[in-house]
Amino acid sequence: MTMTPLHDAPVTAAASPARARRRRLLAIGRPNPLVYAFLSVVLVGSVFPLYWSLLIGSGDSSTINDPNMSWWPGGNFLANAAAVINNESVNFWRSLGNSVIVSTVVSISVVFFSTLAGYAFAKLRFRAKKGLLIFVIATTAVPTQLGVVPLFIAMSAFGWTGTLGAVIVPALVNAFGVFWMTQYISQALPDELVEAGRVDGANMFQTFWYIGLPSARPAAAMLALFTFITTWTNFFWPFIVLNSNNPTLPVSLATLQANYFVDYSIVLAGVLLATLPLIALFAIAGKQLVAGIMQGAVKG
Amino acid sequence: MLVSARPLLAHAHKGVTVKLSRRTTAVAAIAGAAAFALIATGCSSGGTTGATASNKPITLTLATFNNFGYNDALLAEYHTLHPNITVVQNKAATSDAAQTNLFTKLAAGSGLGDIEAVDGDWMPKVKQYASKFVDLASTDNKGRYSSWKTAGGTAGGKQIGLGTDIGPEAICYRSDLFAKAGLPTDPAAVAKLLTGDWNTYYSVGATFAAAKTGAAWFDSAGATFQGLSNQYQNFYEKNDGTVIAATNPDVKAAFESVLKASATESSHLSEWSTDWASGMANGAFATMLCPAWMLGVIQGDSPKVSDWKIANVFPNGGGNWGGSYLLVPTQGKHTAEAKALADWITAPAQQIKAFKVAGNFPSQVAAYTNPALTTATNPFFNDAPIGKIFIDRANAVTVTPFKGIKYGAINTAVQNGLTRVETGTQSVSDSWNQVVTDIKALG
Amino acid sequence: MTTSPLRGKERTPRRIAFNQKLGRWDIKFSPYLYISPFFVLFAIVGLFPLLYTGWVSLHAWDLIGGQGKFVGSANFLWVLQQQKFWIALRNTFSIFLLSSVPQIIFALLVAAVLDSNLRSKTFWRMGVLLPYIVMPVAVSLIFSNLYGDRYGLVNALLGHIGIPAIQWHSNAIASQFAIATMVNFRWTGYNALILLAGMQAIPRDYYEAATIDGAGIFRRFFSITIPQLRPTLIFVIITATIGGLQIFDEPRLFDQNGTGGANSQWLTLTIYLYNLGWGQLNFGRASAVAWLLFLVIVLIGLINLAITRRIASNEGRKQ
Repeated sequence: MTMTPLHDAPVTAAASPARARRRRLLAIGRPNPLVYAFLSVVLVGSVFPLYWSLLIGSGDSSTINDPNMSWWPGGNFLANAAAVINNESVNFWRSLGNSVIVSTVVSISVVFFSTLAGYAFAKLRFRAKKGLLIFVIATTAVPTQLGVVPLFIAMSAFGWTGTLGAVIVPALVNAFGVFWMTQYISQALPDELVEAGRVDGANMFQTFWYIGLPSARPAAAMLALFTFITTWTNFFWPFIVLNSNNPTLPVSLATLQANYFVDYSIVLAGVLLATLPLIALFAIAGKQLVAGIMQGAVKG
Repeated sequence: MLVSARPLLAHAHKGVTVKLSRRTTAVAAIAGAAAFALIATGCSSGGTTGATASNKPITLTLATFNNFGYNDALLAEYHTLHPNITVVQNKAATSDAAQTNLFTKLAAGSGLGDIEAVDGDWMPKVKQYASKFVDLASTDNKGRYSSWKTAGGTAGGKQIGLGTDIGPEAICYRSDLFAKAGLPTDPAAVAKLLTGDWNTYYSVGATFAAAKTGAAWFDSAGATFQGLSNQYQNFYEKNDGTVIAATNPDVKAAFESVLKASATESSHLSEWSTDWASGMANGAFATMLCPAWMLGVIQGDSPKVSDWKIANVFPNGGGNWGGSYLLVPTQGKHTAEAKALADWITAPAQQIKAFKVAGNFPSQVAAYTNPALTTATNPFFNDAPIGKIFIDRANAVTVTPFKGIKYGAINTAVQNGLTRVETGTQSVSDSWNQVVTDIKALG
Repeated sequence: MTTSPLRGKERTPRRIAFNQKLGRWDIKFSPYLYISPFFVLFAIVGLFPLLYTGWVSLHAWDLIGGQGKFVGSANFLWVLQQQKFWIALRNTFSIFLLSSVPQIIFALLVAAVLDSNLRSKTFWRMGVLLPYIVMPVAVSLIFSNLYGDRYGLVNALLGHIGIPAIQWHSNAIASQFAIATMVNFRWTGYNALILLAGMQAIPRDYYEAATIDGAGIFRRFFSITIPQLRPTLIFVIITATIGGLQIFDEPRLFDQNGTGGANSQWLTLTIYLYNLGWGQLNFGRASAVAWLLFLVIVLIGLINLAITRRIASNEGRKQ
């Protein structure tokens, strides 16, 4: 994606603050209706899979193969959802609880350790920094499929298989989070602020806590949300290390497909049930997230 | 790899995980003949026979996939018989998921269930690691199965797998489409019409196709070939494991003849694809080869079709597709107890219960005289006497196909070749040449 | 680097106040302390598997049977001679290009739109992220119904407007396009929000000043947003590259067999290594493919990094 370079004067220095303020309204006024039309189209595409899941999940077992499927939800959603919750091998409440525990612990841990490491990579000076950062990024290039066997050997050696620890511990911090926080902090936090903190006599951790962390808030909020979702929907590794006594939601919902013929109305009702907590999280955390982003913007 | 959407290779998926807890010498005695037999015969299953088992409560994990018909009532029954053993079932959704799980944990050397269910389709792969499984032969389960089922679970001189169900094949057909084409619709008449070899099947198909009903005769070349290939003793490999698939004239002839028929008689819908399932509901094809476990699939995919019937016939006699085994990995802590459970749960009485729950057709010969099976009918298939039909079909199976280490990979290569021709990607001869290349690359 | 000023301090009189000493250690060791959680955990869950895989790739190694004799580079040489390996490499690249490039461009567009002064921001932002929360099982079900060759929704719609049905599974290009759609569907909103976070951190004054100077919306975008966004852009491009070249779930779930298509139409390197490892149980060869893939990713990653930096620094110089 090469862009045509511009060769005119620096853009930042030109205007006086007063003029800038006067122009602010003009510069970032409300966007025109086309923008909303565009976003609406994007939104329709985004909502489609959930809506389609609802169509199937509120129908019966034949809905999915019905070429004349109605585009309006059927009346069986509650019955299908009840079938999921009451299915003993699904162990719904237990797995819901497990998913909440795993996703919450992993999100908090990933955000904290990634921010810490990201701050160090972005704003502190130490030996071999660049090499170590490249190493962090390179670790994500290891194909995960093959890692399963050695990782299972490791978890088994620790005696963690079958416990939530086997799902939580390997996920406590990841290269993706470290890389993301590094990039964000290096962009959003001016070096002068960090130095000012040091000059004022703050120690390293205080500088991180009072200067680094607040500036990283928007990215941290986003990382938390992404990590929560990724952990919540993760199937393969939990499927390998957990068992049906102590599963997470995707693992237990998979047993709904354990049949010669799979009733997808029940499966998708289960998928929707498992998605509801995420939508609730959106409703709650979404406001925080936007607030966080705005706050970051004001700071910068 | 996530949960597969459409069941990946959904056929013959069953998984069972049983957790037994608690076991005593007394319990071993109650476990009855099975445990007794262990002691009496001094069977080679390892040191932990009933005699040394402790009083401690134990939990046995039974890992299954799909639906083995082992419901909570059945597992509770075992707990009643053995109060210190609790059985817990770990269900994987699909055969494919169960396979990945099994091989990952075999590779890691730990983490498997006390009993693991293995699909007949990938049992050949598992059999090369016979040393990692307990010998399950006992006087109690001796002669429980027909010889070919026993052979399928035997490796390295040990019986590492106890059969659960089998997949004797009949032909399922749409009587409405048959009527439209002017063919007989009554199951007995259809059976008579189709009695013969594969050429009979194809030539009736040609008649059907000529009637232009808008439907195809069979679903796909791949499914048809699967039925045909299971009728040879050494189709892809010799008994010593030498691969002969590329040079065996039978394979090439079967490949070409199926594709010749497929050109005019197939709906070209690959088995287990979304289109295949929709095709079943929408009358895309009039017949399909139908192992016993396929009935649930047909009913599930086309619940509103009332004209499915079953003909008690199969081209060239008998054929089996699918069916599974229970194995006891040596890495488990309670192999003796697991062995006793595997023996009990695959006994004819329990298999009849599983049949009632999930329709898994028993592999135990003694079950074939049980009235619960002999009188069984299926209302969806117009009250077809499925007990009688599939007992007949099971008895018609005479060949024990040899399936070696590379069976799965070779079969994938051949099936891919059939698909390439059916989708119009390659000509028959080009596709065959690539099959040969692909098979050579397995070396 | 950082050491010279510290060394200078060391030469100060012997009696260093204790807290001064602490302060020095603080400066010197804190960075390592902060990054250590990652490296400690990585040693267990990342490095061990990596080295283990490397060790395996040098041996004849049956997945279950375990270690066989040392074969050196034989597994690598065997893999490099397989036609399927090169087909898989080609497919991996083409699916990667079909997915990552439009994905990032579209994500930039969506992010730029979301960066404007919208009403109900939360609603729109969370809206574009919706595809990411849907469980993969539902996504693959939906797309297998959309892209059915015979009864699929897309072909039905094409039929209405008189376009012949597309063979989504047998045609290589069509199958890769369909897979790329699945990938883009899931990841565009996600990348858009990441880019948005980066855009929000750009000081608004820059835009105001540029507006005063008469820069239009496109010029503002290319001369302020893109250069200022450089670290975030690098992040998005690198992670999309790595994720794109490792693509596994979508092609595996694209048909019922999960082995990459009858004619290897959508066989990718990860599927190929999975087929070798779990299908043929040849862990040695599968590990060799894993390492080759690793090298390919590192190579492409470095190229991308170089290009991205160049673009961004060319732009940046004008600041």
